Amino acid sequence: MSALMSLLAQAPAAPAADPVTTGEAVAFWILGPLALAGGLGMLFARNAVHSALWLVLSMLSLGILYMIQQAPFLGFVQIIVYTGAIMMLFLFVLMLVGRDSSDSVVEVLRGQRLTAAVFGLGFAGIAVAALVRALNQVPSAGLASVNAQNGGNVANIGRALFTDYLFPFELTSALLITAAVGAMVLAFAGKERQARKTQRELVIERFQGDRPSPLPGPGVFATANSVATPALLPDGSVAPESLSELIEGTSAELFGEERASVAGTGHAADAHALTGEEAAR
Amino acid sequence: MQEQFLAQAQQQVNAPDIAYGAIAPVLIVLGFACLSVLVEAFVAKERRWGLQIGVAAAAIVLAGASLAAFISSNDAAGGPTGKTGVTTLAGAVSVDKPALFLWGTLLALGVLALLLIADRTVGGDMQTEVFPLFLFALGGMMVFCAANNLLTMFIALEVLSLPLYLMCGLARKRRLISQEAAVKYFLLGAFASAFFLYGLALLYGYAGSVKLADIATAAVGTDRSDTLLFGGLGLLVVGLLFKGSVGPFHTWTPDVYQGAPTSVTAFMAACTKVAAFGGILRVLTVAFQSTQWEWRGVLWGVAIASMAIGAIFGLTQTDVKRMIAYSSVAHAGFLLVGAIAMNTDGLSSTLFYLLAYGFTTIASFGVISLVRSGSGEATDLSQWAGLAKRSPLLAGVFTFLLLALAGIPLTSGFIGKFVVFSAALRDGMAPLVVIALVFSAVAAFFYLRVVVLMYFSEPAEDGPTVSVPGAFTTVAITLGTFVTLLLGVLPGFVLNWASSGGFLS
Repeated sequence: MSALMSLLAQAPAAPAADPVTTGEAVAFWILGPLALAGGLGMLFARNAVHSALWLVLSMLSLGILYMIQQAPFLGFVQIIVYTGAIMMLFLFVLMLVGRDSSDSVVEVLRGQRLTAAVFGLGFAGIAVAALVRALNQVPSAGLASVNAQNGGNVANIGRALFTDYLFPFELTSALLITAAVGAMVLAFAGKERQARKTQRELVIERFQGDRPSPLPGPGVFATANSVATPALLPDGSVAPESLSELIEGTSAELFGEERASVAGTGHAADAHALTGEEAAR
Repeated sequence: MQEQFLAQAQQQVNAPDIAYGAIAPVLIVLGFACLSVLVEAFVAKERRWGLQIGVAAAAIVLAGASLAAFISSNDAAGGPTGKTGVTTLAGAVSVDKPALFLWGTLLALGVLALLLIADRTVGGDMQTEVFPLFLFALGGMMVFCAANNLLTMFIALEVLSLPLYLMCGLARKRRLISQEAAVKYFLLGAFASAFFLYGLALLYGYAGSVKLADIATAAVGTDRSDTLLFGGLGLLVVGLLFKGSVGPFHTWTPDVYQGAPTSVTAFMAACTKVAAFGGILRVLTVAFQSTQWEWRGVLWGVAIASMAIGAIFGLTQTDVKRMIAYSSVAHAGFLLVGAIAMNTDGLSSTLFYLLAYGFTTIASFGVISLVRSGSGEATDLSQWAGLAKRSPLLAGVFTFLLLALAGIPLTSGFIGKFVVFSAALRDGMAPLVVIALVFSAVAAFFYLRVVVLMYFSEPAEDGPTVSVPGAFTTVAITLGTFVTLLLGVLPGFVLNWASSGGFLS
């Protein structure tokens, strides 16, 4: 998007030579390294929040660079929209996800990082070398003369948007609608919304079912007061429904012994306990 | 300050001329997409599905009608050969003969894809949001084919991609693999868009304009540094080739084809390829024709790589959808052979190939969606063993479609390959054509492997069942198969249309 804006800002550029002043050069050599440091810091910071803040630094430097290069509107848009709005949204999301979550350092493909670094540096080297050579032959065309015509920078951008770039500009609305629909689709994944039952319906349902009374609570005995202890029925047998299904479901065999001891079917003190029979069982 | 403000207020901004008749198909599709979003918002859930099908179908039919109206008026306007077309919206959109052909292709393929998406009887059952997304994607593809400057092309690229990313993740069953496919496609697609944008910036630096025609003028006889031109071209083409799932930029293709709901895969496989190659043809022909000697060698290499990857990796696949995905990579290589032929035959043959390939692919995915086991679609090749004994008709149709993909005579695939290769030969690319023929033979092997599997193996005990197709799917498969046969027997009409004119910038 920023590339788009810069294109639009420069669209009516006249090829008039506009030499780089000392002030501009000084500002560039301060802001350029800062932007670069921001980019590298974003890549290498382990913590996602730090990464985001490094990116803010990079974007701020770029915004100021745009202003120095006679594109004030673009500079302010960069700072207000990107640094102000989008990066803050980014930070919000990071905070929601949890700022402790950091990059995994496990390489899934062996040697991938090394290869990627080599190729990345190679590409950067080629691109920088070629561009330096290419751009040395290009005369710098400033925006000062264009900004003075037709009511200035902002008016010129507006004019370009509504004449030459009318169609792409309008087409962007399709993109925005798609994004909104997409957020809806992904976030609201078709949960069936059921009407909540009223108290009356619940009562009727309960009396039509096979058990109108509440389930018995767990047993409380002199030997045990755990919720995992089942209640005893009048005939002395265990009432299985007195235990929560959750407990039943998770680790039935864990409670098996307790249940057995309450029911009196468990093994009593065993004279052969130390012979290893227990372990073998 | 105030005087300056008043001076601004007086200036008149002249809005660009808009040829509404020419761009009516695009406007109708995008307008109905917005309408479809409104239906989503205001209509009760139970009635939405049917209504959305109606809206989408109406959009395509009306767009087709307005396209036909424009073509006839355009032909009537310019004498015996017909006018070449119009550029409109300050030169942002160029509605010329290839664009009209591609729009017609996209709308026709869109009908088939819509039929597959709309059929709920064989386990489709996506959210109704798929319909507005489908229409937005279709509209984006149509703009992409006709975009006459790179900025419009970029926005159109995003308009077509974003809905596709979402549609990939819409499967209700096998949700995880579907969403994985969506994320993968989104991340890699974002990278490809970044490449495109970087290339665009370099080209703007070179030519001082994003218009294709201006880039062509700047490239002819200047003393500017070529680094920006070729750097820009390289990065731009990477973005385009990614969308066309060509060669080494194909890595998303198998995973996304496998993970996405089958009807969405059908739409994506056919229509995205049409749009991407429409864009590639236009960029290469309009903007870079004069510099073709510098870059054509690289695209030779890419085409060979694409054919090799598609044919060789396709051999090792055990999943039908992945196999078709690799087949699409191989076909992208064949298409690229036609696209870099850089003559009028190259253009018309590539257009024909796109149309033929699109119909065959949609019909194949329609067939794949019918073969199901208890847990959903049975895409594993071992489950397809002996299918002909259980369902001879389906196996027969699928065999025919596979033969078309392999390029056997009497199918559209043969005619497509024939015209593409002969155009390449006429342009002096004989070595490339020989290589392409070798890889077609290799690729034919894995299509025939499936045929052999279906006819000459014993069916598995717990094999998949072939579900009875709904009316929509039946129509889609029938139409796709019929067109595949028709173009194989009587290709003349479409070939004439495809070669009716060149690009206008």
